[in-house]
Amino acid sequence: MDTALDIGLKLVAITVAFVVVLLIVAYTVLAERRVLGFIQGRLGPNRVGYGGVLQPFADLLKFILKEDIVPDKSTRFIYFLAPVIATMAALMTMIVYPFGPEIRIPFTGITIPLTITRLDIGLLYVLGVTSVGVYGIMLAGWSSNNKYSLMGGLRSSAQMISYELALGLSLIGVIMLAGTLDLGQIVEMQSGWHGTRWFIIFQPLGFIVYLTAAIAETNRVPFDLPEAETELVAGFHTEYSAMKFALFFLAEYINMFTVSMLATTLFLGGWNVPFAEDIFGRGTFLFGLVSAIGFLLKVVFFLFLYIWLRGTLPRFRFDQLMSFGWRILLPLALLSIFITATLIFLFPNL
Amino acid sequence: MLALLFLLFAALAVGCALAMVAQRNPLYSAISLIGVFVSLACLYIMLAAPFIAAVQVIVYEGAIMPGVVFVIMLLNVEVEERRTGRLKFLVPAAVVLAFVLFAEVAFILASMQEFYVTPASASANVGVTHSIGTALFTQYLLPFEITSILLLMAIVGAMTLARRGGLLSPNARVIPGAQQLPLSIVDASVGIEDTRAVETDTTDEAARLLGYERLRDESERE
Amino acid sequence: MKQRGCSDTSACAMSQSENNEMEPQLSWYLALSAVLFTIGVTGVIIKRNIIAMFMCIELMLNSVNLTFVAFSSFFQDVTGQLFVFIVMTVAAAEAAVGLGIIIAIFRNRESLDVDEASILKL
Repeated sequence: MDTALDIGLKLVAITVAFVVVLLIVAYTVLAERRVLGFIQGRLGPNRVGYGGVLQPFADLLKFILKEDIVPDKSTRFIYFLAPVIATMAALMTMIVYPFGPEIRIPFTGITIPLTITRLDIGLLYVLGVTSVGVYGIMLAGWSSNNKYSLMGGLRSSAQMISYELALGLSLIGVIMLAGTLDLGQIVEMQSGWHGTRWFIIFQPLGFIVYLTAAIAETNRVPFDLPEAETELVAGFHTEYSAMKFALFFLAEYINMFTVSMLATTLFLGGWNVPFAEDIFGRGTFLFGLVSAIGFLLKVVFFLFLYIWLRGTLPRFRFDQLMSFGWRILLPLALLSIFITATLIFLFPNL
Repeated sequence: MLALLFLLFAALAVGCALAMVAQRNPLYSAISLIGVFVSLACLYIMLAAPFIAAVQVIVYEGAIMPGVVFVIMLLNVEVEERRTGRLKFLVPAAVVLAFVLFAEVAFILASMQEFYVTPASASANVGVTHSIGTALFTQYLLPFEITSILLLMAIVGAMTLARRGGLLSPNARVIPGAQQLPLSIVDASVGIEDTRAVETDTTDEAARLLGYERLRDESERE
Repeated sequence: MKQRGCSDTSACAMSQSENNEMEPQLSWYLALSAVLFTIGVTGVIIKRNIIAMFMCIELMLNSVNLTFVAFSSFFQDVTGQLFVFIVMTVAAAEAAVGLGIIIAIFRNRESLDVDEASILKL
């Protein structure tokens, strides 16, 4: 019966994480519209609810009630499968991130870890599952039976596959420093010394390469040519309407969120808030709460960075994008590995 | 419990494999093959080999199968038609021979006596990344290096096969209005009647090859 | 065939008691691998499309991978998994070059039917 309780707890944890992720993603969409508005000198949506807070629910209602148009000559099975694959791949990475340390609930004495599960190969799992997300885009572009969708789908998936290399290679420096693929372990190795052991200090080049590759992976500005509205109608999701488009939209924002969480976990020390240990002491409820809030704030910072970039930079042309990924980013990632390996070899006492 | 999981993943694998062979649309075959790979990755995790499972997902499903799906989409492969006429007997013959092969393997498996094996447990240390990495870089270093040379050969081979236009550099950037010229301008050994077309980089190079002296602004290139 | 029984009775008894829970045996994995392999062989024989034949070959490679990993897990030897690693790498290299060849064949013949590619002349 032990396993039944474990499974029950895990299901509750997964449901909570799912709901929290969806809420955060919905409010990221709203935040993007308002922040972009402020950058561009206008107000974003601020009518629904106080300051626009209920806007995501209005959007959800709109998506549900819209007419669902399926193109006549499309391959129906793959047409319906594609957004499912994209969203599933985006959501499946949620389970390995450590949202906080072990938290002790004050009046019951139960200690719950703030991770859904700890996998030995956590980082490899994340990389593998994001590779599967490419299929959603490819199959969407193909099955719509539309020239623009096909071109957008092929370009987008070629871009994602190319930048996956730089993404994976930039993380090897972190793996070499940490000596493990377990994300919880990596966060714990960055604690202590009040924020000076965060891996961003040891891996600045790796961080920049990772961030650039991640922005390209999630098809965001400045790498969003395959889905820009002025370029290829709407890219691979031209023919999708209503709920299926909402799934693609959701998948893109969940990918952004995932990538931000990975950046926080690997480079900014995860849930380590600089002086929280001294003030609260490890293992107490307040320490756990402050750490989780700190994690959330760091993730929100990365999301804000995404939105800021969208409002600021123009987009790359596709051949510039591909040559940037292969000729500049990939050698930089290899250089980062080389430098890290040399430094670890020369100074093994870090 | 574990046996149920094994049966689930095994049924999924066999079902997707049968679907792959029975489908006539190659894109559906590719998707079924992805299903086979996913269920095999789950089986590897059941065998306490998580690193191999993750590598299977990354390499097979993340790299090889998108490549295959790309080729299917780009070449616009059509649905296979049934064989007609004299060769219709081949499909049932193949199925019968497959059963014969499986019967032979089953006979071999059944005639082995049950020997003492320890069942795989989750605490096994064999599949852990650390042990694979240690063995890969110490005991099996030579196969590792040879494999890396093999990959280099594959990269060079794939680039050579996919290249068009013979002698032009693959760094050519396609800009609107690229010229198409007959092959004999670039490759002098080919006769003039060979009308295969060659795409050149820019109007500059086309002009140069045609004998005109045109000075264009070089800043346009970057 | 020589009977290889339990040499160490206490360990054998432990294995017997664990068998009450019906853990998947090695022979199950080998049988599954044999089934997948035969399905792959059937596919290579039946299919006319080059890409489909290529995918059936990948299926055969994967069934062999499963055999290797099963043996490596049951005999606690890491060599099997390393071999799988190498096999995957070779399969990736073969996929790259093979797909290049398929594209080249398609460019010349405009068809991917192996039954039609029966003479050397284009």
